[in-house]
Amino acid sequence: MEQPLKTEYRGPVEYSVEIALEKIGNLLTQSYGLSKRTIGLLLLQDDREIAELVGKKELDHLAQIEEIIRDAKIHYSYPVEYEIAMERQEEVRRIASRVVRKKRGKEPFAETLSRLTMNPVTGIPILFLVLYVGLYKFVGAFGAGTVVNFLEGTVFEGHINPYVIKIVSLIIPWNAIRELIAGQYGLVTLGVRYAVALILPIVTLFFIVFAVIEDSGYLPRLAMLIDRSFKKIGLSGRAVIPMVLGLGCATMATMVTRTLPTKRERLISTMLLSLAVPCSAQLGVILALLEGRPHAVLLWGGVIGLVFLFIGYLTAKILPGERPSFYMEVPPLRMPQLYNIIVKTYGRVKWYFKEIMPLFLLASVIIWIGQITRTFDLVIALLRAPVSWIGLPDEAAPIFLFGFFRRDYGAAGLFDLNKAGALSGVQLVVASIALTLFLPCIAQFLMNIKERGLKTALGITFFVLFFSFTVAFAVNFVLGNLGVTL
Amino acid sequence: MKNMKKIAIVGSPNVGKSVLFGNLTGRYVIVSNYPGTTVEVTRGVAKIGGEEFEITDTPGMYSLLPITEEESVARRILIQEKPDIVLHVIDAKNLERMLPLTLQIIEAGMPTMLVLNMLDEAAAAGIEVDSALLGKELGISVIRTVCTDGTGMEELRKRITAYGTASENRV
Repeated sequence: MEQPLKTEYRGPVEYSVEIALEKIGNLLTQSYGLSKRTIGLLLLQDDREIAELVGKKELDHLAQIEEIIRDAKIHYSYPVEYEIAMERQEEVRRIASRVVRKKRGKEPFAETLSRLTMNPVTGIPILFLVLYVGLYKFVGAFGAGTVVNFLEGTVFEGHINPYVIKIVSLIIPWNAIRELIAGQYGLVTLGVRYAVALILPIVTLFFIVFAVIEDSGYLPRLAMLIDRSFKKIGLSGRAVIPMVLGLGCATMATMVTRTLPTKRERLISTMLLSLAVPCSAQLGVILALLEGRPHAVLLWGGVIGLVFLFIGYLTAKILPGERPSFYMEVPPLRMPQLYNIIVKTYGRVKWYFKEIMPLFLLASVIIWIGQITRTFDLVIALLRAPVSWIGLPDEAAPIFLFGFFRRDYGAAGLFDLNKAGALSGVQLVVASIALTLFLPCIAQFLMNIKERGLKTALGITFFVLFFSFTVAFAVNFVLGNLGVTL
Repeated sequence: MKNMKKIAIVGSPNVGKSVLFGNLTGRYVIVSNYPGTTVEVTRGVAKIGGEEFEITDTPGMYSLLPITEEESVARRILIQEKPDIVLHVIDAKNLERMLPLTLQIIEAGMPTMLVLNMLDEAAAAGIEVDSALLGKELGISVIRTVCTDGTGMEELRKRITAYGTASENRV
């Protein structure tokens, strides 16, 4: 049998990877279960686990090893991991070209599609198509439209609510308790109704879309596609996953920002998730709200998109730090398996519901307390002024307060207000923009504190509060002066 | 399972690792979380050529430089448990995406055998792989299999038996 293959890494002539590997290899004295060559390669690629291990085992040589690594990196214009991956891939290509024979000259469809998704010219239209079909049509029109209308209108308002209200008014003599259970913001009439009729279908459909995107292998391709644009806003392609997940649940996404390698990227993505990434529940309700007004949807999407890029760019400029580097192995495209999707979606929906159902009920109770103690009236009175600046009627003030308890709560309140025919097209767009940008929900706020610390979380919150109204004011001002009707 | 030789099955997700694991082991299977993680690892015992081996089905990995928790766990298993044989299972349709990990495992000094799997799908896609030449290029054993219908399992068992003792092979 021959000797196992040795892959050579050349790199820059004056200081190749091989030189660094040899130097590091000479300094390693312990055994690791991996060859010295591999240990050296992993150290050069900033592998944290291996660095710790070597740090513990090679106390005498650690400083020297670190110096070799620093020294080697100076000679590279690309990140070392990229350089190494490229040379390895070249070796693989050489071997594959010798041993693989393709009978039909035709490229398999999956390969063609894979290339198309990563090429900016075709990839960006494909991204829009995915968003349009997956989010707008499936989650928005079908989920937030058809399914919600049925559950909300027919099931709850047609059957459950009248029944609950009747029973409660028969058996409970105290008005305050009646309100708690079956009032305008009651546990059943609001808490359970929003959770089951609005949020459940929307979130379930979003998680189905996310599972399909995840299992098909589209996410890493999307990461490659938008890596370059994301670098302008201080992020790398890696941040695609928390951002796309944020379209489902921003609280969950904030937790996932942990996977980003630098503190700076984590901070920027937390900021963007709090400000400009609507979650699926909110997205669903807003899309339902703007249904039948395509210009309004475009305007809303355009403003949110601009804010996302502008704030990302600004934060990246203000925050000091290196530009992130990013390289990812792209797995093959695959047809997602129905069974996998069902299992994943079920698990996520279950997790999500266990987290949010208590919050919904709690929110109902807090709102009830706030109302009978009249604290809310005070806060709502305070909110009236900014709400009227952005051209909305007084009745919209509570929506912003409740929006803090759940993002979609606010949007759902807007939904109710619109059903009563109280809003014009422009007002709808302005309100949707303000609510999308407005404070993250209380769960996300708590997650921000947990992940980024109290000071940063409060800073983000105040900025978002101020910024959301400023943007809404500007949009309302411009639309009003141009005499636009939507 | 103290004195048994160890075999680790590695490879990227969806290349047939678990099917191969099932073919080799049979009834005695333990599924447990890897300590300190939520990642599940499946272990079992296989009788090959009259000798018992402890087989570990590692979580999917694309590279020895881990990005996901699954990849970290797979690598930790390789480092800490020092398997006597590492079976790298690959999708024969997609050598260019599969071989980088093979090179890395060989580079790490692991006693590697390459399981060239899904040859039926490769044939359907019009792809042919010269496994003898591939073995020569890599300097390791290459076994041709279709794990789902059992093709190549006999050959794999024979090569495992013939592979010799760990101490001779391990760097």
